[in-house]
Amino acid sequence: MKILNNLLRTGVAALAIATAAGAAHAQTSVPLVESGSSLLYPLFNLWVPSYTATHPGADITTTSTGSGAGIAQSIKGLVQIGASDAYLSDAMVKAHPEMLSIPLAISSQAVNYNLPGVTNLKLSGPILAGIYEGKITKWNDAAIAAANPGVALPDHVIIPIHRVDGSGDTFIFSQYLAFSDAGWAASEHYGTSISWPAVSTAIGANGNSGMVTAAAANPYSIAYIGVSFADQAAKAGLGQAALLDKHGEYVLPTAETIGNAASSVAASTPADERISIVFTPGENAYPIVNYEYAIVSSKQPAPAIGSAIRDFLGWALSDGNNMSFMSKVHFLPLPAAVKALSQAQVDKIQ
Amino acid sequence: MKFRPFRVSVLLLSLLIPAALVAVVFFLVAYSGQAILFNGLHFMTQISWNLGDLYSDPVTVNGISVPPGANYGILVFIAGTLASSGLAILIAVPLSVGAAIFLAEAVPHRIRPALSMLVELVAVVPSVVFGLWGITVLIPLIGRYLSPSGNGYGLLAASVVLALMITPIIASTLYDALLQVPKENRESAFALGATHFEVVAKAMLPMVRTTLIGGIVLALGRALGETMAVLMVSGGGINILPTSLFSPISTIASFIVSQLDSAESDPTNMSVRTLSEIALVLFLITLAVNATAKLLSSGALNVRKRQS
Amino acid sequence: MSASASLKVARSAQELRRLTTSKLGWVACGLALLLVIAPLIDIVGVVTVHGVAALSGKLFTQTTSGTANGLLNAIEGTFIITLSAMLIAVPVGIGAGIHLSEYGKNRLGGIIRFLSDVLTGTPSIVLGYFAYIVFIIGFGWGFSLAAAAITIAILIVPYLARITELALQQVPNPMREAAYALGAKDHTVVFKVVLPAASAGVITGALLGLAISVGETAPLIYTAGWSDFTWDGRFTHAPVAYLTYVIWTFIDQPDAHSHALAYAAAFLVMLVVLAINIAVRLVVKRTKLA
Repeated sequence: MKILNNLLRTGVAALAIATAAGAAHAQTSVPLVESGSSLLYPLFNLWVPSYTATHPGADITTTSTGSGAGIAQSIKGLVQIGASDAYLSDAMVKAHPEMLSIPLAISSQAVNYNLPGVTNLKLSGPILAGIYEGKITKWNDAAIAAANPGVALPDHVIIPIHRVDGSGDTFIFSQYLAFSDAGWAASEHYGTSISWPAVSTAIGANGNSGMVTAAAANPYSIAYIGVSFADQAAKAGLGQAALLDKHGEYVLPTAETIGNAASSVAASTPADERISIVFTPGENAYPIVNYEYAIVSSKQPAPAIGSAIRDFLGWALSDGNNMSFMSKVHFLPLPAAVKALSQAQVDKIQ
Repeated sequence: MKFRPFRVSVLLLSLLIPAALVAVVFFLVAYSGQAILFNGLHFMTQISWNLGDLYSDPVTVNGISVPPGANYGILVFIAGTLASSGLAILIAVPLSVGAAIFLAEAVPHRIRPALSMLVELVAVVPSVVFGLWGITVLIPLIGRYLSPSGNGYGLLAASVVLALMITPIIASTLYDALLQVPKENRESAFALGATHFEVVAKAMLPMVRTTLIGGIVLALGRALGETMAVLMVSGGGINILPTSLFSPISTIASFIVSQLDSAESDPTNMSVRTLSEIALVLFLITLAVNATAKLLSSGALNVRKRQS
Repeated sequence: MSASASLKVARSAQELRRLTTSKLGWVACGLALLLVIAPLIDIVGVVTVHGVAALSGKLFTQTTSGTANGLLNAIEGTFIITLSAMLIAVPVGIGAGIHLSEYGKNRLGGIIRFLSDVLTGTPSIVLGYFAYIVFIIGFGWGFSLAAAAITIAILIVPYLARITELALQQVPNPMREAAYALGAKDHTVVFKVVLPAASAGVITGALLGLAISVGETAPLIYTAGWSDFTWDGRFTHAPVAYLTYVIWTFIDQPDAHSHALAYAAAFLVMLVVLAINIAVRLVVKRTKLA
């Protein structure tokens, strides 16, 4: 009995010490938590150490939970910065008018495939829609063969891989399908979570990293993977597909083609910056491009938190938008006009 | 009655346990009320799980605000749960019975405690470590040697992992029961000329049959509620019933974990309430199974008393 | 003559069949035992080999930054969450065990026991979901230590209560009666006579509860959140890191250092859980033999 009593007292004492130590540390910094997009996660992991090195006392935690979680948790105030490849929907904005969608970078998404011996695959929105709907089941299907004359396509079942978590990658991928294929637009629409059609070989994966792992582990699979994971995808032996753009050309995601897509939209970006860069009408423009958003509430619970967020986001928009960071994850910095719009939104955070 | 402060205080402490349970159940029922009304009975029989178009404005159906096209059905997850747990039991029972028999009868007395402890230790390995091992060792094994499509994630992987986790429950229960079989039964069977194996299989096992069944049902209850290990190896199947051992599946528990954040992005909150309904369904299923286990093990006692 | 000869032959054939079946039976059972124990050895082996390879001083002195560096925040977080959960669960569990064993041999005690068993069988994700909607969102605590600790406490209290009750019941009644005869009050009897006599069993229960809470994941995913820093002393509105989060999230990242962290975390968790369970079983055996 004495043992238990002593243990209890030691336990309370230990907790008290930890509380005091923690509180002392907390006096000097405002802890911020960022959660959300797995596509934006690698960039945040480059930003935070660099920001912390030049701003001692910065206390930023990054987690990769998927854009759906990032949006939801930011709205509920569970995290201060929600990272998302998807902007807020109209309904969300109506329900939560204090939430801001602030672009921080320009990113894109590749469609990767695991076909040993096949490179330079060309795919289009309708073909992808057919694959993910289960209408196109084999790699040597007529539609795929027509788009890839001369390529030896294997006679094997296709394994489409999709995200199970609420995902901004799903959002932009399904937008590409919806914008280029009327059937998909009518039945599945687009969103961070969609009702994937029943395909017997389909696999669900968690996060972009899960997509890379699943695609690498399954020959004859196809997956949509954010471009910040392109290096890992290439290392895993996955090929990158050239996608059909609005002009009828097959385009690979390069800095030039992504830039073309982004610049065609830069001028028309509205003040709330909720706009899609998917399937844009630009010349030689890669069709799956997007703004990477920080979903932040303009009404933070304390002024100290608001100013900490403003400092970090302001840094991200200036120093953070340097090519030295962007090139590591194959992103592009924001055009000047959009950067100004983003900064204006950042200034609204209290 | 004298007021006994100590007794009252420990009574109050012990009442916290049922209070917690009642709070959980009450909350689940209350929170899923709207969802139950909206989803109706087809909830349990429908295959497709559709959150609706989250990027369009909500519509009102039967006076409840939901995203357009929202249609929730959990047959896939019920099927996944029952299939993976059922298959796990099928794998685990022969293994457990064999292991328990061998431990109780064939292993030399000196190393028996060590080996039986080893068996029990399998049960305490955290679920997430089982999942880690599954991803690292089991999935590549299945993918390379067993699966026709090369995909290791799926029903078989989930069932194997579950089987490994529940085997110790059945094996330890049976082992303890076998050790308690009265010596007379063993000796009389030997006297009748039975081989050692026959003594165990034909004379001892039937005596512990009800304990064995109780242990199996208890193990089933544990398998139904397993979350992390299944989440990591099951492949995340959705909108399609499993057709083969290698089909990706989702169980109710793993689905709740992977969908809670997506459900939060629904501005009408109907998806979150539906998840509450799913949690309630899972709770009721495990409750029914565990209650059956209890009845079996207490029923056995009654039967024996009546016989003697 | 021929009749008895043929009888002998028939018996031998049947005997042979029974002997072979029995031998095969033992082989099958031995194989079964092997198949049950081998995966455990494999799991421990795989986790140990990869985990030890990932161990370094950095692990214990640096916090996690993204998916790299150390596990200090996760180790401290697991420790704090477990400690807080135990601070809630131990008084409630032991108190409940005392009631059920000493004063609970009635219908109310039976109801409490039954509901406690139901709580044991409740899937941990159901409790996690409940805590998320009620504490995190409903009470507005956000990802917090308080919610995590309460959820884990609800999970382990039934075990503590049951084990305490069983341990207390082993204490022979004459001890209690002697204490009462000497004029001791209720709390003196329990705290100074019965509980000390059953202390081994009660501590066993507490240790097992500790092992369970170190290894739990599902109830913490939506209650504790994740933090790249050590705990900042707030019980609400501040997420806490924990080791099992590292295991299930970092193994999915496509780079080697994340995998190393995942294995290191798995190694640490498994070490603690196995050490506690082995120690408990050895102690129990020793007290049984004594």
